Amino acid sequence: MKRIVNAFKTPPALMPYFTLGYPDFETSLACIQAAVEAGADLIELGMPFSDPLADGPVIQRSTQIALENGMTMAKCLEAVRQLRSAGIKNPLLLMGYYNPIFSYGVKRFVRDAAEAGADGFIIPDLPPEESAEMEGECAARDLAYIFMLAPTSTDERIKKVAGRAKGFVYLVSVAGVTGERTSVASDLENFVLKVKAVVGIPLAVGFGIGTPSQAKEVGSMAEGVIIGTVVIKAASESNPVEGVRRFIREVKEAI
Amino acid sequence: MARQPPNVFRMKLLGAEVRGVESGTKTLKDAINEAIRDWVTNVNTTYYLLGSALGPHPYPTMVRDFQSIIGREAKEQIQNAIRRSPDTLIACVGGGSNAIGLFYDFIEDGNVELIGVEAAGNGIENGKHAARFGDAATGRVGVLHGAKTFVMQTADGQIADTHSISAGLDYAAVGPEHAMLRDQERAFYASATDDEALHAFSILCKTEGIIPALESSHAVAEAIKRAPKMKKEQVIIVNLSGRGDKDLDTVMKAT
Repeated sequence: MKRIVNAFKTPPALMPYFTLGYPDFETSLACIQAAVEAGADLIELGMPFSDPLADGPVIQRSTQIALENGMTMAKCLEAVRQLRSAGIKNPLLLMGYYNPIFSYGVKRFVRDAAEAGADGFIIPDLPPEESAEMEGECAARDLAYIFMLAPTSTDERIKKVAGRAKGFVYLVSVAGVTGERTSVASDLENFVLKVKAVVGIPLAVGFGIGTPSQAKEVGSMAEGVIIGTVVIKAASESNPVEGVRRFIREVKEAI
Repeated sequence: MARQPPNVFRMKLLGAEVRGVESGTKTLKDAINEAIRDWVTNVNTTYYLLGSALGPHPYPTMVRDFQSIIGREAKEQIQNAIRRSPDTLIACVGGGSNAIGLFYDFIEDGNVELIGVEAAGNGIENGKHAARFGDAATGRVGVLHGAKTFVMQTADGQIADTHSISAGLDYAAVGPEHAMLRDQERAFYASATDDEALHAFSILCKTEGIIPALESSHAVAEAIKRAPKMKKEQVIIVNLSGRGDKDLDTVMKAT
């Protein structure tokens, strides 16, 4: 938890998303290393799933390729271990869908992830009504179970999350799936302010943020900016590592 | 859409825009993924409806309640016909809406045997099927599309590819209430291969002049297996849940 708290000390913090195993295992780790060198504050590590419901076509394709490359949950944890042994000190948040975690065993997975050096989990298809076991296991190991809120979340839901959230709260900026949008949602500021009035920990905004200027705009409202799709696009260039480095540097300078 | 052109055409006649799904394995699971993605994107103007007893609560119970008219009418009609309960009910199970609809009013009646029939595709032993209960190698409790139920999956918790000649049974999860009835040993689940379903299809055409849907043909196939072992006065109700007109193309190609 300490690493997450520290990462938000000089907001806005930048959290790029990477699909582990895309374009291949080694390159995904090299891209993350480059992102850290270019100033990324936290890292969201996508654990590939066959049916990524919350993701748009770009991230869907990256997870499919990662699975075709033989990515597994055990290899995702191995990636965390390797990032730590490469000296990366930033918070590492494992993002994934629930079934592979459930299949691995919730208790075992949280334990293994903690031992590998992860700092928390983002699980978009596990709502607060069903997440007590995950939360309990995370709390026992001082990891953060990250809650998500969307513009459609009710006041009641926001209040419920406020009482339980650790680390930061992930705000989904638009209704829909991951992927770039032409502009930042016009009502985002109201949404952020509404949550801020209730939630006392940092807010990080993701979904639909793709350009340095959009990142800057979002960074002026919230403590964290999350970028996924455009990072995956950069990791799809002919030189993925340099593509990611350049993009993260641009965004970091902008915010 | 290629498998069920008459249904697609009917939907268009009724004024619907029908969008094909190109992602993943292009089966029911991928169509559900896309429908959910569209729903979360247009949630303020869209209702999500699923034609099976699947998905997050309360969808499975809503669909069951609406479909239970099948069992209520069957119960009344069989009482009028034979003045007692039937011995056996047989229905095909993809998500299992027709089956849960038929079974529901008979669950309390312990004299009635409830049999669901899954798709064994090319045969359970060769792995190309959709028998979630029938294959211990892939079928176990998991979470898909918001329901905790039996899910066909890999050792690593990725959703497995399925195969059935009938589009409606070609899905990796089963309605959660069926998983419960099976757990309670109140209902039992058999399976029929593509070939057995095609055989049952042609038998029913020839003997009764009824063209059953390929889905329902799986239930007919189970009746054909069981009837010879039963006494003459025993009664089976087979749910002919759909018409086979939509499947004529598939049947022509397969025979």
